[in-house]
Amino acid sequence: MFSKEAEQKITGHSPRELAWRRFKSNKVALPALVIAVFIILAVVLAPVIYSILGIDPEARDANAIDNRGEIIGDFGGISWKHPFGVVPGIGYDTLARMLFGARVSFLIAVSATFVTVVLGLLFGILGGYFRGKVDGVIGRFTDFLLAFPQFFMILALSAPLVDRIQRSGIAHDNEARILYLIIIFSVFGWPYLSRIIRSQVISIRERDFVLSARALGASNTRILMKEVLPNVWTPIIIFVSLSLPGYLSAEAVFSYLGVGVQPPMPTLGVIIADSTHFMMNDATYFFIPSISLILLVLVFNLLGDALRDALDPKSET
Amino acid sequence: MLKGKKTLKVALAAIAATTLASGLLTGCSAGASAGTITYLTVQDSWTHADPQRNYTGRDIAWFGSYLNRTLTAYDRAPGAAGSAVVPDLATDTGKASNDNKTWTFTLRDGVTFEDGSAITCEDIKYGVSRTFATDVITDGPTYAIGMLDIPSAADGSSTYKGPYSTDAANDTASFDKAITCSADHKTITFNLKRSVGDFNYTTTYLSFGPVPKAKDTGDQYDLKPVSTGPYKIKSYKAKDQMVLVRNTNWKADSDPLRAKRAFPDKIVVKFGVASEVLDQTLLTDKNKTAVSLDSLQPTNLTAVFGADGKPVKKYADRAINVYDPYVTYTAVNVKKLNCLPIRQAIYYAKDFKGLITLLGGQALAGDPADGVIKPLMGLDYAKTGFASEDKDWKPEGNVDKAKTLMDQAKSECPALYARVTDPKQGLVYDAPDSPSNKNASAIWIAALARIGVTVKFNFIEAGKYYAVVLDATKQGDLSRAGWAPDWANASTVIPELFTKEGGFPMSQNWDDPAYAAFKQRVVANLSQADRKKQGAEWAALNTYAMQQMWVIPNVFSKTQEIWGSKIGGAFFWEPQGSLSFGDLYTK
Amino acid sequence: MNGLVTYITRRLGLTVLILLAVSFAVYVIFSLLPYDPAALTCGKSCNDPGIIAANRVRLGYDKPFWVQYWLFLSGLFVGRNFGTGAAAIFCPAPAFGYSFQQHACVTSLLGDALPVTIYLAVGALVLWLIVGVGLGIVSAKFKGKIWDTLSTAFVLVGTSLPTFLTGLMLIIFLVIKWDGSPFPSDGYTAPEEDFGQFLLSMVLPWITLAFAYAAIYTRFVRSQILEISTEDYIRTAKAKGLSDGVILGKHTLRAALAPIVTMAGLDFAGLLGGAILTEAVFNLPGMGRLSLTAVVDIDLPVIVATTIVAAAIVVVMNMILDIAYAFIDPRVRV
Repeated sequence: MFSKEAEQKITGHSPRELAWRRFKSNKVALPALVIAVFIILAVVLAPVIYSILGIDPEARDANAIDNRGEIIGDFGGISWKHPFGVVPGIGYDTLARMLFGARVSFLIAVSATFVTVVLGLLFGILGGYFRGKVDGVIGRFTDFLLAFPQFFMILALSAPLVDRIQRSGIAHDNEARILYLIIIFSVFGWPYLSRIIRSQVISIRERDFVLSARALGASNTRILMKEVLPNVWTPIIIFVSLSLPGYLSAEAVFSYLGVGVQPPMPTLGVIIADSTHFMMNDATYFFIPSISLILLVLVFNLLGDALRDALDPKSET
Repeated sequence: MLKGKKTLKVALAAIAATTLASGLLTGCSAGASAGTITYLTVQDSWTHADPQRNYTGRDIAWFGSYLNRTLTAYDRAPGAAGSAVVPDLATDTGKASNDNKTWTFTLRDGVTFEDGSAITCEDIKYGVSRTFATDVITDGPTYAIGMLDIPSAADGSSTYKGPYSTDAANDTASFDKAITCSADHKTITFNLKRSVGDFNYTTTYLSFGPVPKAKDTGDQYDLKPVSTGPYKIKSYKAKDQMVLVRNTNWKADSDPLRAKRAFPDKIVVKFGVASEVLDQTLLTDKNKTAVSLDSLQPTNLTAVFGADGKPVKKYADRAINVYDPYVTYTAVNVKKLNCLPIRQAIYYAKDFKGLITLLGGQALAGDPADGVIKPLMGLDYAKTGFASEDKDWKPEGNVDKAKTLMDQAKSECPALYARVTDPKQGLVYDAPDSPSNKNASAIWIAALARIGVTVKFNFIEAGKYYAVVLDATKQGDLSRAGWAPDWANASTVIPELFTKEGGFPMSQNWDDPAYAAFKQRVVANLSQADRKKQGAEWAALNTYAMQQMWVIPNVFSKTQEIWGSKIGGAFFWEPQGSLSFGDLYTK
Repeated sequence: MNGLVTYITRRLGLTVLILLAVSFAVYVIFSLLPYDPAALTCGKSCNDPGIIAANRVRLGYDKPFWVQYWLFLSGLFVGRNFGTGAAAIFCPAPAFGYSFQQHACVTSLLGDALPVTIYLAVGALVLWLIVGVGLGIVSAKFKGKIWDTLSTAFVLVGTSLPTFLTGLMLIIFLVIKWDGSPFPSDGYTAPEEDFGQFLLSMVLPWITLAFAYAAIYTRFVRSQILEISTEDYIRTAKAKGLSDGVILGKHTLRAALAPIVTMAGLDFAGLLGGAILTEAVFNLPGMGRLSLTAVVDIDLPVIVATTIVAAAIVVVMNMILDIAYAFIDPRVRV
């Protein structure tokens, strides 16, 4: 392996080209990217897939289960009609449920990631750029926030805050629960990003181009927009690629504990929580959603790793 | 009684015939006095271990078998014989006088607490007094407050506030008059404010059992109650386990009901077992001397029971599927759904087949109910002409009929019609939070969507469910419910469910135009002396309530129990709706 | 030396302040919730407004917020009486409150639960440090080789598998399905009761928990080692002809120690607040179960206490780590 300096001396390419080159050289990066894009497309285009395969997340196939709720046929009723089998007891098409569920799960994970990034960026830049009192206050506040047992707080605040959201009339039922998850994930998520951004901004702030811009009399806003923001993209991209799978599995975990979206609306977590009851009697229905979640998280983690290695080679060396 | 909250009290007409003999006959001679029985439960602790707070059929059966003796008890026998009342601490089943307003029991010789001190009349009197401390002794049955001859204060509560009250105005004098003890401390007399012909059934409740005043720790008595039975508590820790060992001060000859049946040397209850782990432990016979305190999850039922509802060969002698005392139904909040055609439309649109399939089919879930009285009730039951007897009713729902009724509702009650068909509002359905109810919600939502009605589910934590929905201000439009009679008279069903004064008035039907006539007939029938006529009238009133669709009945329900292969002596104890725990032994 | 004392004093002061702030915040958050705390103390009888009113007075919920908070704080130092008359219950200091749903002083509930969680966390910590650091070293040393790939695979599965699935699968396949399984199926045994059974009941929970953490540590240790080995002094050592083993042991690992200890300390502290999923799946009566049931039953005194205790452990651990650094590295004491 080349050391960082050696590599930079040899090539004269832009950082972006370098990053892409490093990304391509990673054996798993491209497959992970392809699978991730495929998953995202499947989730976005779920309605199209329903109509192509003739499945429906809300329809119950009475012919797929007998009158005691047991699946007719082997391997969880996998067939051309039901590619991933059916849900025992109720007769839903598993694939359709999972696609629908993944849409909701992604909605939560993507929105929470977005809000987290906005908050982390805002407070990270404020603290790192202005330093002094502002930095102190933000720093103490993040310390304070990180002192809370987050996992437990998310559980404990769920019922009362969902109730609050509903009573305020902003959202109802599952919309309120989705909103709660997005808010609470973001509230406990931003301090991590803000710390990373802060240290990044501190180092940028002292660099020559910022100092010279300031000497030329550029305003704070201008410096922030033109000089600082474009230089914090790397940590943000890495953070996003890792927090997305993090939020996806968090949603599953909280669903298992009964917090979050309520059936009949599916999410990946809701389906997995339901499938654990069939662990022994319907192995197919248990394994398909669980393995899908693991693969999903795996692929995004791999992609995140590869991105980090490509964009921030020091971490890999 | 609430589903899962109370016990069934099936009073047999002929009580006298059944004595201790029948109990001894079923006391399996095969049982060896040795071994450890391990009970498994998903619950983190007993709801209550304090005898004055214990109010769940299963728990009363368990504590009554091992730890708590009462004046009278249900006989421990399979079938209808189990519902007979036999003497326990008392020498007989009580002597009534003064038009059933005075009841006298005499204590046996040699009955003691676990420390060896004799149980006296005063101990029982003290135990009963605790029921009146409603701020500390919560959740327990309050029969003592309702029946004992103690005046009521202006707000309707008793003037006696229990033994903990430091208030000078506390009416201890009235309590001392309501329960009196003989000079030899062996005879206890209850003076009631009204005639109670079957008071000796009431005294089977553990809340009429003794508590030694010196050992009473108020709220914390729930953690270490003093035993009077063949076992005593060695340790009890919530989320962990309870261990019972033999009570060396218990004398078998003072306790014919439990003598020769106290088989295991040690009894362990493991709390907080994850539901899937619990089911699989029993299904795979991992622990051969384990007994489940919970029913199997619906998802695992079909592995144990065949299509005919009988256990498959592998489980033939260690699982049962029996009718329990309950009728389950959807209570209709008539105050909110004050439009008969809409209630009828919901009844016809309901997808009974889908709901029953989810629970493992009719052989396991139970038969479609045609009212709130179970055929088991004999005299009081007659077909109402609904459900299977209704030619318009279909198991998967009759959408056409329901739509016709909705059209009728559109002109008859346009405001309500507009609300239930508005996707933004719709109906609110209350249900306890459980995996099977969550799946059932999907079926309800889909079924009513077929007639353009929106349903929203309000899942309430199971332990708090009835506390919430019985609060009229918090109840939704429809609520899941179940009820079983306190004893074999529908006087503990129809008035409880459908009158304003009842104990379970979830239908809130007293503003319904059909109510006044109904109420009159109920009141008249309560004082009907001819039991046959009374029964026929209860059956007619059951039909009447159905015609008004004050409830949408679901099933005459069944329950399933499972135990390890090295457990013997198991039978279903009908009055408590659970296994007869005290008869179990290790093979 | 003076600087160190000043630093420690300041750090202690700050810790006390953060603890006060956290306890206050927790108290505020749970007081503002749409619950009537008095109505949660009497179960079914709470249909009676008279009882609710009586309980409100009995538990001090009728007093103004500040008084309640003060009673709570003072209870921590001098104990507190709950109720009046013959049914009164005194909880000795530090009193976090009284749980009417569990019929016990919250402090004694915490006292029961904390050891279980400590056993769980210590065992898991040891396991994941051995596996994580070991695999990290191996994969750094054999970077790009099959061992590195294998450990990367381990890391990816470990980070992608939710704990409850790991736990459920372990218990179903290694306990229930396996006939001769030595592991108990019915949960926890206290060490003082039967040490052998205790170990058997803890093995799978330790593995479950350690699996998730070991993955993170493998990755972390690997990148630390790789980063350090590019530093000048390591190169110098290499140039001097020191063996790989000596360099790894004497220089690289020593340099990597501080960040690993920091991370382990914080993760360990976080775990002491309760490993909710692992405890729930394996039926361990620790802090996680205590807090989870408290949430389900809306047992407010327990919710408040477990939150504050969990936060306090993290804050104190932070302080210990900072002070430890101050000993090692004088630059910190500014």
